[in-house]
Amino acid sequence: MSGYSAEVKVAETIAYKMVSLPRRIIKETQRLLQEPVPGISAVPDDSNARYFHVIVTGPDDSPFEGGLFRLELFLPEDYPMSAPKVRFVTKIYHPNIDRLGRICLDILKDKWSPALQIRTVLLSIQALLSAPNPDDPLANDVAELWKVDEAEAIRNAKEWTRRYAMDN
Amino acid sequence: MGICHCKCREERGGPGDCPGSTGEVSGGQDVVVRTMVSSPVQRPNWRRGEGKKLNSPQVIEKLILDSLKAIRSLVENDQEPPEELFKLHNIADQDDGWIQIVNSMVQVVPVEEPLGPAVITLLLDDCPLPNKETVLRLARHFDLSRKNRVLRGKDPRRQRNVCIVLGVLAEKLSGPSSVAILTRGTLDFLIGNLEEDIDPIVTLFSLIALEKFAQTSENKITIKQELAKAGDPLLRLEPRITSEDLIEAQVGFCAQWCLDNLFLIEGRKYSYEQVDIEGINAMLNTRDVSEYLKISPDGLEARCDAYSFESVRCTFPVVEGSWFYEATLLSPGVMQIGWATKHSKFLNHEGYGIGDDEHSLAYDGCRELLWHNAKSTPVPDSQWSDGDTVGCLLQIATPSVPITKVTFYLNGRVVASTQINFKTTSNEFYAGASFMSFQQCRFNFGSRSFLHPPKNTEFSCFNDHASLAEIDRVVYPRHLLLEALRNMSIKEDSCTICFDQKANVTLEPCGHNGFCKTCTLQLTECPMCRATIFRFTTEST
Repeated sequence: MSGYSAEVKVAETIAYKMVSLPRRIIKETQRLLQEPVPGISAVPDDSNARYFHVIVTGPDDSPFEGGLFRLELFLPEDYPMSAPKVRFVTKIYHPNIDRLGRICLDILKDKWSPALQIRTVLLSIQALLSAPNPDDPLANDVAELWKVDEAEAIRNAKEWTRRYAMDN
Repeated sequence: MGICHCKCREERGGPGDCPGSTGEVSGGQDVVVRTMVSSPVQRPNWRRGEGKKLNSPQVIEKLILDSLKAIRSLVENDQEPPEELFKLHNIADQDDGWIQIVNSMVQVVPVEEPLGPAVITLLLDDCPLPNKETVLRLARHFDLSRKNRVLRGKDPRRQRNVCIVLGVLAEKLSGPSSVAILTRGTLDFLIGNLEEDIDPIVTLFSLIALEKFAQTSENKITIKQELAKAGDPLLRLEPRITSEDLIEAQVGFCAQWCLDNLFLIEGRKYSYEQVDIEGINAMLNTRDVSEYLKISPDGLEARCDAYSFESVRCTFPVVEGSWFYEATLLSPGVMQIGWATKHSKFLNHEGYGIGDDEHSLAYDGCRELLWHNAKSTPVPDSQWSDGDTVGCLLQIATPSVPITKVTFYLNGRVVASTQINFKTTSNEFYAGASFMSFQQCRFNFGSRSFLHPPKNTEFSCFNDHASLAEIDRVVYPRHLLLEALRNMSIKEDSCTICFDQKANVTLEPCGHNGFCKTCTLQLTECPMCRATIFRFTTEST
């Protein structure tokens, strides 16, 4: 293909053209692709290197087991000085995740540290699925039920996982 | 600004205020509806039983048409989002309701309404996503195949809207569900729509839908194969880029973009290798553009098919004198065209662009508004339509005339003229523009003669005074850049925060290291242990 000769030239000009993409993001992206985290996939968007398509598998022994949850992750301009923006795209019944997929997690807000990374954030989110915290709720009705009737809440969570997060 | 109300979200109570909640990842538009969720407005309580009656197709269709009207008037940030959108959002919470809404949208959103496609995407973008079963039910209901093709001369409304819906779903559900929606029937329908005898508006949105489906790599492979089987229709569509008909020209633009970026064909040269850029000395700056804006290989045309509010500046700064450029609209929707300094920020995901901060000023002839500092003032009698040419004149203050003046023209007629006093230390002005979904225009920075040059006013054009380095004249397809980017190597002793500079700082008193000075200066506590940083030592090299 004639395009190939051009690619050599492209490589030479890359640093110049891509000046707006910090090396930190390049490094993290490379590592995510080369050494993926088990149970988590994060793939950068074809045209936007700051936007990742994420799939997290529901942890074993949780009501979300067997589910594949889609999330979107966006690295804001001042990343890593500020936290990535993450949202569940797949519906999920969880006291710390609201109906629009927004997540209540301290490291995504006031406990963010630039030493954290995309992979550690996603691992924390997976851990949140294993350990729901109804005392710090985002979805009030879900949290309420989780507190008064945990068995029923878990049944709901399983049902939602089956309905929205399983392919068949 | 784009249809976006993020600024008011912060002032409202609701789930968004919970510490640690994050959101607003996707396009700016969906923030409108999301704001409503957290708004204190009383939410109607839709119970399944009574919902049935209220959710009749007539009611839903009316809600959709009313929100279309309401969104037009949604211009100020402190305005409540329209109640209609809010009601629709609630109906969509039930799977059946969602299907009904999509069906009604497809039926009623008129082709002539410039904001129509944006409203379809806005509504779908913010409704909680349906499960795969529901989407498949919808796909079965659409019952797509080659038989649904709309030939030229027939009413394309339903099919165009179906294509918009498919595009949004393909993008929102990228992954296995997107593969599931791309059934044999859907493929036949979309690829069949690329043929000569199809209404071009349907061809346009089919191309965009295919582009969105191709975000899932499995689909991309399937689509490539099907295109080859169909005899590479994109190659036949590409020459329409020069068409006088504006929809046809958009079809050509999108076909070319797909050929350069997504559905590459063995043996075809990239457009940037073939384009004639002789005599073009000022372009849209590919290093000063938000991520999703598509820029033509000659650097003079821009198009947005993302669901965010995409912006770009010109390459050439002006500091003194009187300057003019033109933008010819290929689509009639929301764009903000004007002037900005480098301080003006492009926050595409939040819906901020040219005119949305104190460092820029723009005219939007779809909503007939002038934008500065994210506030709008009405510009009476300034409605634009596709094919119109917007002229932008900037007269920079001089010692004798200490006022900087901007004048906007529509086909040569002055529609707005205003003084500006940009709050900025920068004295360099750039031509700039922002685009809502599915909008496109072609700029003239002076490499061709102007269609409607200002009368009785002296002015210069960028092209006569600018020059471009060889490297700045090439608009590479983004996938080539990203690919090369992934192969870039990074030194091992780099700072663990920026990976840009050498790590040579040790924090005190905790003793953690691995950071550079630039990053350390931005920190108050240690990234590793959160201990307060009292001082740091720099290892000399």
